[in-house]
Amino acid sequence: MYVELKNINKYYGSFKASDNVNFGIEQGKLVALLGPSGSGKTTILRMIAGLEHPDEGEILIDGKVVNNIPASKRGIGFVFQSYALFKYMTVFDNVAFGLEVQKVPKAEIKERVHELVELVGLKGLENRFPNQLSGGQRQRVAFARALAPNPKLLLLDEPFAAIDAKIRQELRSWLKEMIEKLGITSIFVTHDQDEAIEVSDQIIITNKGRIEQIGTPIEVYQNPQTAFSASFFGHPAELPDYTKFNSFEKRDDVDKAFVRPEFIKVTKKTEDQFYKHSAVEGVVEQTFFRGDTIELLIKVNDTYITARRGLDEGIIEIGETVDVFIYRIFVTSGEKAYLIKNSALREESVVI
Amino acid sequence: MEILDEKELKAKKRTKYILIAVSVIFIVFLLVLPLISIVVNSLKKGLDFYFSALSTEYVLSSLGVTLLATVIAVIVNTIFGVIAAWLLTKFTFRGQHVLSTLIDIPFSISPVIAGLAFIMTFGSLGWASGIIDSINNALGTNIRIVFAIPGVVLATIFVTFPFVSREIVPVLNSVGRDEEEAAALMGAKGFTIFRRVTFPHIKWALLYGVILCTARALGEFGAVSALSKTRGKTFTLPLEIDALYMSGSADSITAAFAASSLLVVIALIVLVLRNILEFGVLNKKKKKGKDR
Repeated sequence: MYVELKNINKYYGSFKASDNVNFGIEQGKLVALLGPSGSGKTTILRMIAGLEHPDEGEILIDGKVVNNIPASKRGIGFVFQSYALFKYMTVFDNVAFGLEVQKVPKAEIKERVHELVELVGLKGLENRFPNQLSGGQRQRVAFARALAPNPKLLLLDEPFAAIDAKIRQELRSWLKEMIEKLGITSIFVTHDQDEAIEVSDQIIITNKGRIEQIGTPIEVYQNPQTAFSASFFGHPAELPDYTKFNSFEKRDDVDKAFVRPEFIKVTKKTEDQFYKHSAVEGVVEQTFFRGDTIELLIKVNDTYITARRGLDEGIIEIGETVDVFIYRIFVTSGEKAYLIKNSALREESVVI
Repeated sequence: MEILDEKELKAKKRTKYILIAVSVIFIVFLLVLPLISIVVNSLKKGLDFYFSALSTEYVLSSLGVTLLATVIAVIVNTIFGVIAAWLLTKFTFRGQHVLSTLIDIPFSISPVIAGLAFIMTFGSLGWASGIIDSINNALGTNIRIVFAIPGVVLATIFVTFPFVSREIVPVLNSVGRDEEEAAALMGAKGFTIFRRVTFPHIKWALLYGVILCTARALGEFGAVSALSKTRGKTFTLPLEIDALYMSGSADSITAAFAASSLLVVIALIVLVLRNILEFGVLNKKKKKGKDR
């Protein structure tokens, strides 16, 4: 493990920002710390950086305990949420700053800065000041600045939060590509699950100062292990009484039930359907055109659920009564989460 | 945006002219005319009288004292102000608000009371006089604070104390700690961070604070008046002007105006310097912008 956190506890007064945090990160991985705001993800990042200090526990980087090593000696690059570019320095001076502080020879600095500016695609803008750059360009400068002293570990605090949605997508793939190219171990903080799924090799889900689940994006998405993960991932809707939906087995230990849009099949009354007997009727309240799909807000059994239909399927009007079939749901019991399949599917598999 | 019809446009224009008229009348009657009258009155008896009135021993001595007190006060308060602003914005500690309020005391206390407070502290009845006496005995010096130059300087420092820090604190607060944190993370040390990252943010506020501090130090009357009683030795320019004016003869009143004009001129020089500085820097920045 390149980065390791062991039994980390951190308090702000009586507020527990980190609650017995343990995890390890392999070298060269791009890891997302994902959680709602206030879940302690930024605190973890800042403790790894050395900007905050744990009250208990050890932080190891490259096998060494770094608790007492100052931030500047930990060999890390840090990209701040709002980039924290030096406002009164040019792009060149921003990137050069870390090297100047380390008293690197001038000629070397010049070479390195030009190399980095070219790498991040800002060649020709070396003499601009930060306020003469677009949001995306600023992020690239922050990235280059963090990389200039050749860090072994790159930490990014909500790197896309300050960028408008339009170019966020483009920057995500750019950043992933860059980090893969450089092979640098990286940890980034985000509250956006799509971002975490799309960019990272590994996701660490945080909630209330605790680590909920660690795994690859596919693992945490397909197989949420805790109640929080199940309720957080995949835009789920909560079903107050899942037994009203045909045909799920009733279990006694269930606290809550969640359904994701992709678990739902919506069929028009005029269309043929396979599971007619296990479907329930619902009324379409809203439709949203999402470009590649149409999202439907459907009222079923006094519950609102969100489902999607492809553009090639028949058009559904607002107010239309449709059949809703749910393939599977997540149910939580205490801290655990389980997947329950619709029993109609099981019968099917028995028949075949 | 909504399109204004002609009536609204006219009303808007009228508001603008009314506001301009009010401001101009105010400035002319309360600022410009009194200042002009100083210059006119000071020249009433001709240029020769003007210059001879300025070159009396008393006036020259008071000018010296004023400049000395101002320079020391500005230097001390600039250093103190930056340190205090730094402390108040970059650290959190117990009693922070109390300290912040204490710094503002000179704003709310009458300068005369400040002067009296110094007398009660350092004068022959004050609690600190014993300390000063023992220092004098030990070192064989004859330092006196009250009714001497050190008292005048102290009083000037006291009344101008909050100006620099009050200008910088809001700027530092709005800038936040991110940039400094970023610099520290790259290994920069405190002074480098201040010089290269923090200072560029506060330099205009600092300059403005220094100018306010200078103006106030030059013109301070009350606090200094309580601590300075010897004309020609410890009098500052405002005290000398007052003494000249109070002595009542037509000549001395004109001399008082002449001495006043000196303060006006110094004030104007300070303002012009500031504008030149600001303009110069702005121009340089613009040029740099065009070069790229």
